[in-house]
Amino acid sequence: MKPLLRVRGLRTSFKTGRTVARAVDDVSFDLLPGETLGIVGESGSGKTVTALSLLRLIQTPPGHIAEESVVEYNGVNLLELPAKELRRVRGAEISMVFQEPTTSLNPVLTVGSQIAETLRAHRVISRRSAAARTIGLLRRVGIPEPEIRTRHYPHQMSGGMQQRVMIAMALACEPKILIADEPTTALDVTIQAQILELLADLKRQLGMAMLLITHDLGVVAGIADRVAVMYGGQIVEEGPTAALFTNPAHPYTEALLRAAPRLDAPTARLPVIPGAVPPATRWPTGCRFHPRCRHAWERCTAEPPPPLATPTEQRARCWLVDEPVRRKP
Amino acid sequence: MTAAPLVEVEHLVVEFRSGGGLLQPAHTVRAVDGVSFSVGRGETLGLVGESGSGKTTLGRAILRLLPATAGAVRFDGMDVFRLDPPALRALRRQIQLVFQDPYGSLNPRMTVGAAVREPITVHRLARGVEADARVAALFKEVGLDASFLSAYPHELSGGQRQRVGIARALSVGPEFLVLDEPVSALDVSVQAQVLNLLADLRDRHGLTYLFIAHDLAVVRHLATRVAVMYLGKLVELAPAQTLYADPLHPYTASLLAAVRAPEPTPKGKSMVVVGEAAAAARPPRGCLFEPRCPHPRKDDRCRTETPAWHKVEPGRWAACHYIEEPLRPE
Repeated sequence: MKPLLRVRGLRTSFKTGRTVARAVDDVSFDLLPGETLGIVGESGSGKTVTALSLLRLIQTPPGHIAEESVVEYNGVNLLELPAKELRRVRGAEISMVFQEPTTSLNPVLTVGSQIAETLRAHRVISRRSAAARTIGLLRRVGIPEPEIRTRHYPHQMSGGMQQRVMIAMALACEPKILIADEPTTALDVTIQAQILELLADLKRQLGMAMLLITHDLGVVAGIADRVAVMYGGQIVEEGPTAALFTNPAHPYTEALLRAAPRLDAPTARLPVIPGAVPPATRWPTGCRFHPRCRHAWERCTAEPPPPLATPTEQRARCWLVDEPVRRKP
Repeated sequence: MTAAPLVEVEHLVVEFRSGGGLLQPAHTVRAVDGVSFSVGRGETLGLVGESGSGKTTLGRAILRLLPATAGAVRFDGMDVFRLDPPALRALRRQIQLVFQDPYGSLNPRMTVGAAVREPITVHRLARGVEADARVAALFKEVGLDASFLSAYPHELSGGQRQRVGIARALSVGPEFLVLDEPVSALDVSVQAQVLNLLADLRDRHGLTYLFIAHDLAVVRHLATRVAVMYLGKLVELAPAQTLYADPLHPYTASLLAAVRAPEPTPKGKSMVVVGEAAAAARPPRGCLFEPRCPHPRKDDRCRTETPAWHKVEPGRWAACHYIEEPLRPE
């Protein structure tokens, strides 16, 4: 199948004073039509900068997207598109939901008028039919009494309801791709479950593709068809969700899976990853994970591993794929 | 438990006055509504609830950082709410609080070494070189390199800052720590490090914890018993293993179902609860959880009659009309 979105060699850096932070450093992936790709990483891994770079939402300067980077949508490189044409893509073809609905919604406009505004920005549609469609959208995202809620201001709604409004707004123009950046992180656990289910249902009904960005492996489980794990500004492992969860190829993926608190594991000590994520201004030489990796040997400190294909359909930036005998039990 | 508990909370009520301006008539919000439990020496009680459940307010009221409206808190037999100022100061050495985000609780212009030293000098536990030695020992204890002594909070990572917060709490030699979401702001890999550190410190010093969290999975690694709170009331309290294996209250079951395990086909979708918690200012009549309750037997009684907090079996408490009737009505 032809990918809907083709990202190749994406590099985004930020310059502050004399230091350069290489936040995203050679990221490549495909998003197929109707597919959900989960991008998982801890803070500082580059996952949010990746998402923002796709739609050129990076402030330049200090940000800079390298010229040779490619973000191809419908055969067009979005990174080279004139600003006016890019605006037509943003919100209409590819739209985004952010972590904090409170900061993304305008506090002095009713939620209905904000959704209608999105519709009218991209479509020729009368005020009246925009209002009617807004109510339909609010109903679709599970907001009770949408006829009344449409006239409410964001502060009159809970965080979960606000996030539903954000999703309604993102869906207003029936995008082909929805980028959801930590859509449930700010919400309570029971509400989190509701929003994830809503996203999965909507995706199925509308047949759109979704890029789900999160720090939580539990969130992508059961929703994502494929998962990409980011570390140090790179995708260190990528593959079908089931394969990646059952046979993690990269030691970072493996460690992350083991470190997550879960309900069914023994309650003894949690296995930890020693150390901390290095700053983007000073990535380690060779494999960026090697200082924290329990398998690392000389090759890892010297040669940066490229994405290598594993027998279980993943790709991992790890020399263990090349030399599996080096894997410690 | 046969020994006397270290902390006893009895029918604690904390109310806030709200409104009273031009736009809103004055009203009272009951953030904590008649909560009772005890924490044994060396035990870790997990207190789990979502935002607005009153868990943080409860933690602060125990420390007398917030005034309680009614009820009592006893620490080592002492009535915390009736202590005179010198006795209260002495108590503050025995009970310490660790915050979710140490960034918000550390002075940005003070080195973290000085921040850990401060309580030691305030409580006149040591001075000069002796205090320095204590700070150095505390840094070592929480796994921070001595080179961080002269660092400022912004120079540390979230995990390192939380270690500073823990060192600061430990500096006065407390017996009881209230941990308010101590790992919620941390990345998964760092979360595990801090949870292990908390377990080590507890075992090494025989500390007693009240571990407040919104996530049952996080609490599980430390808690001996778990209390679940909803809209200001406890809905269930049980030994940790029992609660995770066999939750009695539908809300506990929903919270457990909402934990998404990192595995390819997570279960539990069927238990997703509907709706959202009512505002604490306008609680529903009857059972507070009724509007969202997935229990097949819920009925008019749930809508009108507040379920009693009762002992289901020894050590196991719950407030729901539709679990087995109390073994020993009290």
